[in-house]
Amino acid sequence: MKLKLRPAHYLILLGGALFFVFPLMAAVEFSLRTNQGKSYGLANYRWFLHQDGFRPNLFMSFKLAALTAVLVLALMVPTVVYTHLGGAKWRRLIEFICLVPLVVPVVSFAIGAITAMPTIFQSSPYELSFLYVIISLPYTYRALDVGLSSIPLTTLVEASRSIGASSRHTLQFVVVPSIRSAVNGAIFLAIALSLGEFTLAVLLHWDTFPTWINNVSQDNVLGAISLSVFALFGAIFIVLIVALAPNIRKSEKIEESA
Amino acid sequence: MKSSSGIAVHLDGLTKRFGSLVALNNFSLDIAPAELVALLGPSGCGKTTALRILGGLDVPTEGRIVVGGQEISHISANKRNMGMVFQAYSLFPSMTAEENVAYGLRVRGVNTAKRASRAKELLELVGLSTHAKHLPNQLSGGQQQRVALARALAIEPSVLLLDEPLSALDAKVRTQLRDEIKRIQREVGTTTLFVTHDQEEAMAIADRVGVMSAGNLEQCAPPADVYLNPINVKVAKFVGAMNALPGILTSATTADVLGQSIRVRGESPNGSKEVRILIRPEQLGLHLAAEASEHTATITGHSFLGPLTRITARLNRDQTNLFVALPSAQAMNFPIAASVAVVITADHALIEG
Repeated sequence: MKLKLRPAHYLILLGGALFFVFPLMAAVEFSLRTNQGKSYGLANYRWFLHQDGFRPNLFMSFKLAALTAVLVLALMVPTVVYTHLGGAKWRRLIEFICLVPLVVPVVSFAIGAITAMPTIFQSSPYELSFLYVIISLPYTYRALDVGLSSIPLTTLVEASRSIGASSRHTLQFVVVPSIRSAVNGAIFLAIALSLGEFTLAVLLHWDTFPTWINNVSQDNVLGAISLSVFALFGAIFIVLIVALAPNIRKSEKIEESA
Repeated sequence: MKSSSGIAVHLDGLTKRFGSLVALNNFSLDIAPAELVALLGPSGCGKTTALRILGGLDVPTEGRIVVGGQEISHISANKRNMGMVFQAYSLFPSMTAEENVAYGLRVRGVNTAKRASRAKELLELVGLSTHAKHLPNQLSGGQQQRVALARALAIEPSVLLLDEPLSALDAKVRTQLRDEIKRIQREVGTTTLFVTHDQEEAMAIADRVGVMSAGNLEQCAPPADVYLNPINVKVAKFVGAMNALPGILTSATTADVLGQSIRVRGESPNGSKEVRILIRPEQLGLHLAAEASEHTATITGHSFLGPLTRITARLNRDQTNLFVALPSAQAMNFPIAASVAVVITADHALIEG
């Protein structure tokens, strides 16, 4: 049924939009101020592009985000599929474990990592990815769980197995493409969380893009704002790529069949 | 389409228990090469369990499965080379019809050209060559099940397993697709096990019908045999409509029913000579009676079924309700409340157990 919007609905939508858009507009406006606020330009953006450590820290955050996304998918897709197929009795336990990071302070993870993480991992910044996987569990689990609940998983898996596909083929060719939106959602959440995470990186003494922003922006407020705007729109850009990729594939198919 | 010679299937003493529930009880069945056997029975009788065990999707508690002379009881589902069509729509939603059909070959490492050629061949066989690029959500239910059938056949399976593939379709499409499945099965010659709860479907499609009840295979025989010579009361009552008329045993093999003597088989359940005799509605005829008597009945209703009309009548002797199926034109001669003499045209019948 199509919802008919009334004037009150439009007012609420407008209020929500303004609440969301005003700070963004203000940040963009601030980031473009130059010459002590007397004119507008891209000087603040040029400033941070030429700061030491911009590229290495940005790439480090991208690498951590990519590794986190891969680890999240490798861990969570088979696990959540299992809970939907034969492991229903484990479902509550796994759901509980995945929700625990919501109530455990990030500081505790950092201390836990320092005391319990194998030394070989502690010597590399990529240890952060393992911790990012943990703190993204509540969100990625929910995204995948909802996605799998929306398809006839048992029937699809049995259909795939009955015509000769192994479990790996079934996951790769049938399950993951069938919950592409949910997988994209999980990837997006993992990436967004990794790109923005600050506390763990600081506590474990690793340089990432958020810690670098914090360091370089101490004495340049407008530069800090322009960096925040850059990081925000960069993240939105990545989200758009992740979100639109499957739709491009789908529309290609529909055009072919038309 | 090349025709395969089919492979024999031997199911031997299959039992499946879910806790204390026995879903399948010492189930044995032989299916000849290229034969189509339909398992028929009410919900929960174990027919789908038997099919799933053959397909490797369930593990039997006891028993063994031999296909083509080779025991496959412990082989996993994906290594049994069986094609399966499910009751629920099971096309992979992210793949086109063509990709769905070619999927079994893709996971077997068959090259792209051969896969495409085979998918095209199969889609032509099921009459959907123009829908190759359609996604499942662009196909109707009947089309989806045709693609599922093509997908199951694409791998040239040893055995084709059809688990109520028509039950989600409307009546007209169901009849069309039923006939197509039969044609295609004859054409490709694949040994097939078809599970259904629809008697008409089973009778129309199968070389043999296996009637199941509470985990047991009661009878497996050609459709006409199952209908005309049911092995026991369970089969007689499940397959087709059946009247239970009052009768008196006059010997071990004869009974007097409505004043007529007919041959009977079976035994009186409590040793009494007063029994109930099972006779189908089309094995009864009617004549208008001049006056009511112990052997006459009173017409109580008509149900128009197109070519046939089902007449309901009540016996004067003990108020037993009975059904008579007559050609509709003839049924008009017997209005409601008319007194009629009931004639039995069957030469033998079963005693109700």
